Amino acid sequence: MKILVPFKSVPDPNDATFAGEAASASKSVINPFDEIAIEEALRIRERGEATEIVGVTIGAPSVDEQIRAALAMGVDRAIRIDDARALDPYAVARILRAVVEKEAPHVVIMGKQAVDDDSNQVGQILAGLLGWPQATFVSSIEFLDNKTRARCTRETDAGLEVVELDLPAIITTDLRLNEPRYVSLPGLIRARRKPIEVLTCDQVGVNVRPLTTVLAVARPPKRPAGTRVESVEELITKLKQEAKVL
Amino acid sequence: MAESLVLIEHDRQQVKRSSLHAITLAQQLGGEYELLVIGHVVNKISSSLVSLGATSVIVADDPALAEPLADRYATVIVEAVRKSGAKNILGTSSTFSKDILPRAAALLDAPMVTDVVAIEQMDGSISYRRPINAGSMFAKVKVEGERRVLTVRAAAFETPAANAAPCPIVRFDVDAESLPNGMRFISREERKSDRPDLTEARVVVSGGRPLKDKETFERLVGGLADALGGAIGATRAAVDAGMAPNDYQIGQTGKVVAPELYIALGISGAIQHLAGIKDSRIIVAINKDPDAPICQTATYFLVGDLYQIVPQLIESIRRA
Amino acid sequence: MTDINNATREVFGNIAPWMRVVFFIMIAASIAVLVWQVVSRAWLWQKGRQGGFERDWRVWVQRLAVYAAAQKRVHKKTLGALLHLLLFSGFVVLTIGTTLLAIADDGPYYFHHGWYYLIYELTMDVFGVAFIIGCLLAMYRRAFKRKPSLGHNRSDWWLLGVLLSLGITGFAVEALRLHYTQVQPGLARWSIVGWLIEVNLLRGIDVATAQTMHLAAWWGHAILVAVFFATIPVDRFLHVITGPLNIAGRPERPMGTLVPLNMEEVEQTGRTGVHRLADFNRQQLLSLDSCMECGRCEDACPATATGKPLSPKAVVIDLRNLMSIGGEDVHRTIRDETLWACTMCQACVQECPVLIGHVDLISDMRRDLIGEGKLSGPPAKALQQIGSQSNPYGRSNSERLAWAEGLEVPTAESNPTFEYLLWIGCAASFDPRAQKVARATVQLLKNAGVNFAVLGKEETCTGDPARRIGDEFLFQQRAHTNVETLTRRNVKKIVTPCPHCYNTLKNEYPQFGGQYEVQHHSTLLAELVEVGRLSNSGSNGDPITLHDPCYLARVNGEVDATRAVVGATNDPHYREMPRCGKKTFCCGAGGGRMWFEEAPLQRVSVLRSQEAIATGARTLATACPFCLNMMTDGMAGTPGGENVKVLDIAELLLSRRMRTSR
Repeated sequence: MKILVPFKSVPDPNDATFAGEAASASKSVINPFDEIAIEEALRIRERGEATEIVGVTIGAPSVDEQIRAALAMGVDRAIRIDDARALDPYAVARILRAVVEKEAPHVVIMGKQAVDDDSNQVGQILAGLLGWPQATFVSSIEFLDNKTRARCTRETDAGLEVVELDLPAIITTDLRLNEPRYVSLPGLIRARRKPIEVLTCDQVGVNVRPLTTVLAVARPPKRPAGTRVESVEELITKLKQEAKVL
Repeated sequence: MAESLVLIEHDRQQVKRSSLHAITLAQQLGGEYELLVIGHVVNKISSSLVSLGATSVIVADDPALAEPLADRYATVIVEAVRKSGAKNILGTSSTFSKDILPRAAALLDAPMVTDVVAIEQMDGSISYRRPINAGSMFAKVKVEGERRVLTVRAAAFETPAANAAPCPIVRFDVDAESLPNGMRFISREERKSDRPDLTEARVVVSGGRPLKDKETFERLVGGLADALGGAIGATRAAVDAGMAPNDYQIGQTGKVVAPELYIALGISGAIQHLAGIKDSRIIVAINKDPDAPICQTATYFLVGDLYQIVPQLIESIRRA
Repeated sequence: MTDINNATREVFGNIAPWMRVVFFIMIAASIAVLVWQVVSRAWLWQKGRQGGFERDWRVWVQRLAVYAAAQKRVHKKTLGALLHLLLFSGFVVLTIGTTLLAIADDGPYYFHHGWYYLIYELTMDVFGVAFIIGCLLAMYRRAFKRKPSLGHNRSDWWLLGVLLSLGITGFAVEALRLHYTQVQPGLARWSIVGWLIEVNLLRGIDVATAQTMHLAAWWGHAILVAVFFATIPVDRFLHVITGPLNIAGRPERPMGTLVPLNMEEVEQTGRTGVHRLADFNRQQLLSLDSCMECGRCEDACPATATGKPLSPKAVVIDLRNLMSIGGEDVHRTIRDETLWACTMCQACVQECPVLIGHVDLISDMRRDLIGEGKLSGPPAKALQQIGSQSNPYGRSNSERLAWAEGLEVPTAESNPTFEYLLWIGCAASFDPRAQKVARATVQLLKNAGVNFAVLGKEETCTGDPARRIGDEFLFQQRAHTNVETLTRRNVKKIVTPCPHCYNTLKNEYPQFGGQYEVQHHSTLLAELVEVGRLSNSGSNGDPITLHDPCYLARVNGEVDATRAVVGATNDPHYREMPRCGKKTFCCGAGGGRMWFEEAPLQRVSVLRSQEAIATGARTLATACPFCLNMMTDGMAGTPGGENVKVLDIAELLLSRRMRTSR
């Protein structure tokens, strides 16, 4: 079974620049939810159910470091679609569709959302474009019937749901699916020998323009410094009038 | 022809109230709007929606739609959109709408904006404000295209008024045979709580070790949470001591929450716990130790005996 | 009149020449068996990587003298220690004695007579008795005490049986010899035990019968000797050979240090740490065979004590068994959870009488796990954060001085001519509880007029957690960066409140070119108190005890300064914990465990808190930010702990000064 794992290079959510707190250039990492997807693909392979794991990302050569990290975790080979534009989920999903059509995986596993954009759309759009079954916010995956079906547990607002999908399908991962492995230098060294294929949109046969434009980005107002209150009445007054939260 | 179509969510028994907030956005966007209900045996649900100012409540009722399978629901939404001619397809952010609406957007070849918290109308075009970077920043975006799909953050839009003249309920014919068949619903396990989900709640009340035992924890932490309509959280110490189940645990190795109001009862504020709450808008700490680390992070802190303060607090809130 | 000068004995007196030949052949055969068995084991050791042995013969001599001859690690107030000393001393003396006899007999000069002979006889008898008592105590302990960590192999009774029989037949032979050779009582008395047996049991026997009995006893003894030689390599008894080999051969290295990995080697082999048995070095494989299975490491281990799947003894024995069956993959016999459970407190290493390095074995296997991507969850996050934010807490490194707000702390930038560099450490920089220690230390140093500075944002994690968890490369990255900074800032003296930083800066940074005079804050504070630059106002009457941090007390041997700072000697309310000083008991945070989750019923900190509470103390002083965190947590989770204040020695000293300055 071949698994395709799309992943995105995002600013490190642990870095101060993520919240706009520091001016220095921020570090990039693999989107944490995509990391979970990669980890799941690795575990599926470790159980003997998958034979090839292919990673794909879209970006400029600067994202090669994240590709190396994915290869270091255990992804067999990776594709970078060379496109430095600011894309939106609309465009990303259509580019990924072209890659899916080229690679013909049995299942696509990816993070439910990117922690910088937080749109939570790409997997679902991709499923719609391909006409494939989808399972989103998945916390467990099981393959049945000689890997023709997948049984997935989904995390919903009300609790858990179990659905079954015919393969090929799209699965997006939620936080509780697994904890990704830590990769240290030896893994990175081994990853150096794994291939990265660089393709343009043309080469995969897609020509798409993003439909979303970001006009401005701003930080929300800062939290006021802590105040000690002396009584329950004072607390309630402040919560009502100052904080406007009651 | 309606301008907007709003997807209403329900749990097969009644309407999910937060999904109504998208109607307010429809009202802000202007023009007529219709409501869409998809499911099976949804008469009562549909009837409850007639006074929300829509021009009609469109109902797609079929056994094949008894469970919210994204492939089927997205197909139905697309058909409903084509019939209604709506340009804006709206929903309130939830796992339901997030699962289904992007797929519908794909089928409509439309862009989608998630978690809209406000709109701005500027010379003929509309921009949408939405959170990015885990809510630490906000982006103002605009989209192109004939149609667009939008989901709103419930907390950012008011509940719509329900005093309009009743509108008709229009049944929508579903060709069950032509619906996709690649997904099957197997089972569901729902949390039996009346309280909101911890990670989505607007208010979270959390307790630490000083709450002594399960009964006291439920009485004080649960009592205050209920008075505020909030969810309950706990520190690892409290969970380990058996005072709360482990899915209440908040912190670096538990859940990360970012409510509007986080109240920490008897929590010292170890760095591992703070990691789980640092993005809360307002943090209130009630503790007997004025030097507890959480007092530095809290917006307000009250030093004193929990067992006296919390009942007082619950009483005052109930009275207000 | 007894003729002392002619006092002697016939050697092989009753033994016909042909019997002597048979005897020598038998012994030669059994020694051959012994040698063959030892060589087969050595063949297994040589499969390891080359080297790892101590090269300096003077170190061998010193170690053998201290640990093998003087049995330094064995000394304890236990039955086990006593019986081993008896067995060991008895055995050694008897062996030396027999050797001397052989030399006298076969050598050019016969010296086995006169006073020498008589004292020889007495000595041999006394030690023979000691030997037998040792055997009996061992049997008693094995039958009735049944300490689980001792291990109960089938071979143990067999061994003890052989040894006891050797002892008994030895005396039987002596007694019978005295009888049939009719030695004069005046001289016979010197062979006291044989003489007593002879006098009380053998009087009535005629010489001929005695001779026959002697022959039988002699052959019994001889056969037992042969059996004994062949039996030495069986199970735990092999330690009589391998023990001294390991004691001599173990590389000389400070206790708290780990061996750096070579980047080039890793690039070539793609391997970090130990995956197959052959990845251990030869000295490590030898050490596996030197284990006597005494169980002292297990008894001292905090992981074992809290029910975790780790016993240092089991690690050694399991690896040894793997080696015996020719197995390769260490991870099939040692589980990942076992390796992660170690706090690297070094208690096992400290206890081991044959100087096995359990922590190195575990660390080598951890390095392999990291290399294979087998770590996930909170500890993985901590390592990631060390990599991206230069500290395991994941806070922005620009917040390094957040703790100093309002304090006016001199930095290397603002005070470039500082004498001491105060290295705060990540815990005291970011953990709110430990930040108070940083503040207290700074206040004390300022009050004492010490010329110091902090690095501020230039300080980054020493990398200690990365090294202990097993990511040697992350550690080396940090080390190189920090050495560069310290060199650039011209740092000569470092003082730090964290024993882990202390240990790494002092003992491990030299591996990367960083050589500094490093002090833990306890020694500097103690010095300042002693010369009067800081006053110690003494106790406030509260019962107080001290928890010695592992990496300060055990690993670096520092126990006095902390006590001096809390004024232990002058305080009638000060009491020691049962496990104190160098024999301290871990708080549970070492070995990177600070970032692992511990199941509620397996908290090392709770166990240690119980111990502290039992002393009746209301204040627990400690000198490590991790211990501070763990013990505060532990006290909160233990009945009786609510009344115990946990404080760093700096906080304690500061509060006492503030009390009197009013």
